[in-house]
Amino acid sequence: MPTLIDDTIAAIATPMGRSGIGVIRLSGEDARRIAATVCGCGSNSLRDRATSLRRVRHPRTREVLDQAMVTYFRAPRSYTAEDVVELGCHGSPVVLESVMAVLLECGARLATPGEFTLRAFLRGRIDLVQAEAIRDLIEAKTLFQARVARQQAEGSLSRRLKPIKELLVRLISLLEAGIDFADDDVPVLAEEAIQEQLEPLVAGLQQLKAGFGRGRLLSAGLTVAVVGRTNVGKSTLFNTLVNQERAIVNESPGTTRDVVAEEAQLGGIPVRWLDTAGIRSSMDPVERIGIDKTREVLADADRLLLVLDGSVDLADEDRRLLEELKQQACCLVINKIDLPQRLPGEGIGPVEAPVVRVSALTGEGVETLKQVLLEDLGQGKVTQQEGALVTNFRQQERIGAALKALKRAVGAVEQGLPHEVILLDLHGALSSLNELTGETGIEDILGRIFQTFCVGK
Amino acid sequence: MGNSTFQDHDVVVIGGGHAGVEAAVAAARMGLDTALYTMNADLIAQMSCNPAIGGIAKGHLVRELDAMGGVMGEVIDRTGIQFRLLNRSRGPAVWSPRAQADKQRYRVAMRRLLEGEARLGIKQAEVVEILRENGQVTGVELADGRRVGARAVVLTTGTFLNGLIHIGERKSAAGRSGESPSVPLAESIKGMGFGWGRMKTGTPPRLDGRTIDFGLAEEQKGDEHPTPFSFRTKEIRQPQVACYIAYSNDRTHQVVRENLSRSPLYSGRIQSIGPRYCPSFEDKVVKFPERPRHQIFLEPEGLSTNEIYVNGLSTSMPPGVQMEMVRSIRGLEEAELIRPGYAIEYDYVDPRELFPSLQTKRVAGLFHAGQINGTTGYEEAACQGLMAGINAARWVRGEEPVVLGRDEAYIGILIDDLVTKGTDEPYRMFTSRAEFRLQLRIDNADRRLTPLGGKLGLVGAEALAEYESKQKRMERLRDSLKELRVRVESGRISAREALKRTEFRIEQFVSGLPGGLRTDLNPEEMRSVETEIKYEGYLRQQRADIEKMRRASSRVLPVDFEYGNIAGLSREIVEKLSRIRPVTIGQASRIPGMTPAALSIIHVHLELERRKKEARA
Repeated sequence: MPTLIDDTIAAIATPMGRSGIGVIRLSGEDARRIAATVCGCGSNSLRDRATSLRRVRHPRTREVLDQAMVTYFRAPRSYTAEDVVELGCHGSPVVLESVMAVLLECGARLATPGEFTLRAFLRGRIDLVQAEAIRDLIEAKTLFQARVARQQAEGSLSRRLKPIKELLVRLISLLEAGIDFADDDVPVLAEEAIQEQLEPLVAGLQQLKAGFGRGRLLSAGLTVAVVGRTNVGKSTLFNTLVNQERAIVNESPGTTRDVVAEEAQLGGIPVRWLDTAGIRSSMDPVERIGIDKTREVLADADRLLLVLDGSVDLADEDRRLLEELKQQACCLVINKIDLPQRLPGEGIGPVEAPVVRVSALTGEGVETLKQVLLEDLGQGKVTQQEGALVTNFRQQERIGAALKALKRAVGAVEQGLPHEVILLDLHGALSSLNELTGETGIEDILGRIFQTFCVGK
Repeated sequence: MGNSTFQDHDVVVIGGGHAGVEAAVAAARMGLDTALYTMNADLIAQMSCNPAIGGIAKGHLVRELDAMGGVMGEVIDRTGIQFRLLNRSRGPAVWSPRAQADKQRYRVAMRRLLEGEARLGIKQAEVVEILRENGQVTGVELADGRRVGARAVVLTTGTFLNGLIHIGERKSAAGRSGESPSVPLAESIKGMGFGWGRMKTGTPPRLDGRTIDFGLAEEQKGDEHPTPFSFRTKEIRQPQVACYIAYSNDRTHQVVRENLSRSPLYSGRIQSIGPRYCPSFEDKVVKFPERPRHQIFLEPEGLSTNEIYVNGLSTSMPPGVQMEMVRSIRGLEEAELIRPGYAIEYDYVDPRELFPSLQTKRVAGLFHAGQINGTTGYEEAACQGLMAGINAARWVRGEEPVVLGRDEAYIGILIDDLVTKGTDEPYRMFTSRAEFRLQLRIDNADRRLTPLGGKLGLVGAEALAEYESKQKRMERLRDSLKELRVRVESGRISAREALKRTEFRIEQFVSGLPGGLRTDLNPEEMRSVETEIKYEGYLRQQRADIEKMRRASSRVLPVDFEYGNIAGLSREIVEKLSRIRPVTIGQASRIPGMTPAALSIIHVHLELERRKKEARA
C-alpha cells in the first residue's frame, strides 16, 4: 500500500469542464525529471520560477499532445515545499487527460483528493492554525473516499473485473502451489498451459481498457441518479432539474426503459443527471433490461435522489427501495405536492437522509431540493469534482498498469523464465486490480491452494 | 531483586526446544549471563514431530538463521542423514535445502553445543510463574518455590501450555508425547491479561522398520552432493540413507471413513484449528474424496534406531484403527506400531500482543518466541528464538531492538506477519509470503545478514573473515565477467551481458577467466553471481518498491499514540490500531483493512503532535 508521501504525484489542478486553461500540477522528487521527459528537454533547462512555452509530447511516439506553459518551482519554495512543476495546458478534458496519462506513464502517481495540501502541511509549508483546518478537511475527505471506494467495489466496473481477476488469482494459485508445494503431489503447469490461461486475461483487460476511451471518462463530473418505483414522477423531476424536455413522460408505468443521461450544472458544478427506469418486479423482458441497467447505474452514481409519490400511501415497492437504498440515498424527494397529500413528512422508512417536498410539475420546492443537494455535495467542497475524475482516471490507469504487467508475464513465459519470475508480474497485475476491486491477498491465495490441492504431510 | 532470589541472571529462557536453544545461545554469545530452564534436560532440542529440518521456505529460514549466527544449521549439517535441495526445476530464488535428521544425534549435538557456551547454564526445573514489578519482568518462580531473578525472560513453551493429547476417544494432559504439560505457567500467563487462543496439531504413527517391506515402496535417495545449511559447513561427512514413498489406497480411505466418528477431529472433541497445509489423514480423505491415493513418506528417525516416521499419515484415530490404516498400505502389511500418532491441543498467545522485537506490550522485558506465538515448525520457532534472544540481550543493555525488514529476510516477514496480522491457524512460512522473493535467496543469505550477525557479536571472527574473502572472490568474478568478451550471434559482447540471456550458463565462460580465479571458484559462488546477473532487471524493478517500504519503516509511530482522537478513522481501524499499536507507518500500512486515506490522516496527526511538542519546547 502506498504510504502517500514519498513518491511524485500529479493531478489536474483546475476544476473540470471546458475552460480556457487547465493546469496540471506535479509534485515530488521526480517532478522536474518527469516534466522534462514529456517536454523533450533536459532537466536543467527547466529553471526555478521560470515559465517557458513547450511542446508536450508522448516520449515514445513523439506525438505532440499540447503546447503548455511550463513553470518549475524548486523545493522548498513551492506550494507543497517539494519540487513542483505546473503545466498550463489547453483546457479541454481530452487534452488534459492525455497529458496526465503520459505523466503517469513516466512514473508519476495520480494524486488523491487533497494530497497536494496534505504534502504542503507535512513538509512544514502550512502553520498550525491552518493545519488544524486542513485536518478537518482531510478527515471529511476520508469519509468521502471511503464512500467512493465502496461505490467502486460495488460498481459495474468492479463487477466486470471480477471474472478477470478470478482467472488471474487462479493462475497465481496454481503457480504458487507448484513452488511452495513442489514436494507434494502438485502438478506443475506447462508453459503452454500458462500461456493459454494468460490469453483470456489479457483479452478481457484489453476490452475493458478500450471501453474507457468512449465511456464515462469524457463526461467527467458528478453523477446524480433519480430513482424510485414506477410512476412517482421521476422523469418529470428529471426534466425540471435539467431544464429540458427529454425523457418520455407518460402515465403508463415503466415508460423510461433505458437510463437517460443529461449534463447540467448545479451551482457551478458539472453534474451528469441520470433518469432511471422505475424499479419494480417485472416480467416484461424489455422492461427487465431497463431495470437491470438501473441497478448498475445506481452502483456507479455519486448521489441518489429517491423519489416517492406524496399523493398516495407508501407502496410495497417503495418500502423495498427504501430498504435497499438506505445507505446510498442522499435525499428523499416527496413529489406531487400539488395533489392532496397522503404521506407523512417524517418517519418514512429507514432512510436518514433529508426529506424535501416538491412538485416536479409546478416546480415548487425544486430550488430547495437543489440547495439540499448542493449542501450535501459541499461537505467535501472541491473534493467531489476531483473525486469523480480521479475515480474514472484511476480506473483506466490501474487497468492499463495491470495489462502492462500481464504482457510482461507473457514475455517471461515465452522466454522460458522460472515461475517465480513470471509470478512477479502476475502479482503486480493483481495489486493493480486490487486497488479497484478490494484486496485479494496472500491468505486468499493460500486458501485457494489448500482447497484445490491436498498438500502437506 | 536479589534478597529472596536463589540466583540472578541477565536473561532467563524458559523452554529448551528449537526456539529456546537459539535464544539462549544468542543471549550468551552477546555476553549476558543466561540460564535455560527446561522440564527435562535430556530432551533439549527434541524433534517432537518429523525427523527433518528445512524444506521450501523453511530452508531459507535456516540459512538466514545461520547467516546471522544461529546454531540450527550447523547442528543439522552434523547430524543430517539425507540432504536434498528442493525445487531444483524452478529458479534459484526458490531452491531450498531439506535434510532428514538423526533425531537423537541432533539432540545430543545441540546439548553439547550449549554446554560449550561459557555464559550459558542449563537448569532442569519447572517454571510456574513469571515474576514482575511495575509492569516489568523481575524473574521467575520454580515449582519448588525457588525464585530466580532475571532482567529479561524469553518464553518458549511450544505446545506445553495446557497441552492435551488426543488418541481416539482417550485424552491426556501432556506437553509432548510422554511429557507433562505446563499448567500453572499457562495460568500465570493468562493472569497477565494476554489475549490467547487454542490451536491443534498432530503427528503420524511411528513404525518398526524391521516389519516394513521397503522393496514394495519407491526409494527416494538424497542428493549425490549434499547442500549444507550452514555457510560454515565445508562437507557433510556422516553416512546418508534413503527414504521411501508408499501410497494409501481405497482400503485405507475406507477404514478412515468407517471410523470417522472415533477420530476426535470429527467427533467434536477437538474444536481448535489445525493447519490447513498439514492436514490430518482424516481431513485428506474427507476433503478430497476424489483422490484415489495419497503419498506416504517413510522416513528413518536415525541411524541407531529402526523407528520409521510415517510422514503424511498424521492421525488421532484409536491405535487399533491406526494399525488397520497402516496395514492396508502396500509394503506395510505386516508393520508394527512403535507409537501411535496423536493430535495435540495447546494454548498460544495472540502474537499481536508483541512488538516487532518480540517483547510483549504488556510486560516489559518479557519476550515470546516459537509455538507460543501461534507458529508451527522447528525452523519458524528457531528464527523467533534467535531474534528474541538478541532483543532480550539488547533490552538488558538498554539498546534499541533489532528488527529485520520484509525485504531483508524471511525472518523479517515471519515476525512482521505475526505481530501485525496475528494468526488463527498455526503459521508456517511459504515463499509466496515474500513480496520480494527474488531478493531473498539461500545463496545470498550471508550477504544479507552476516554483517549484522558480526556486528551483534554472534558471528565469530574466523567466520567473518571467511565471509569477507568469499565476497572478494565473487567481486573478482563479477569484474572478470564484465571484461571477458564472448562471441554471440550478433557479434562480441561481454560475458556478463551474455549471461542475461537464458541460453547461456556461467560454466560456459569459466575457461576464459583468469587462471588464479578459476582455481578459487566454487560452484555455489558461481551460481550466486550468475543468478544476480540473470535476475538483475527484475531485482532493479523491485528496488523502488523496496525503497518505499524502507522509508515507511523509518517513520516511527509513538507507542502511546491516541488513535481514538482521530475523527476521520473508522471505528474498526481505530480498534485495530489501538490494539496492534504499530511502531512504524510501514507496519500500520500492513494491518488488514488499512486504507491509504487512513494512513494520510495518521501522517497529519503525527505531524500535528510533533509541531505541538516543538511549540511547547
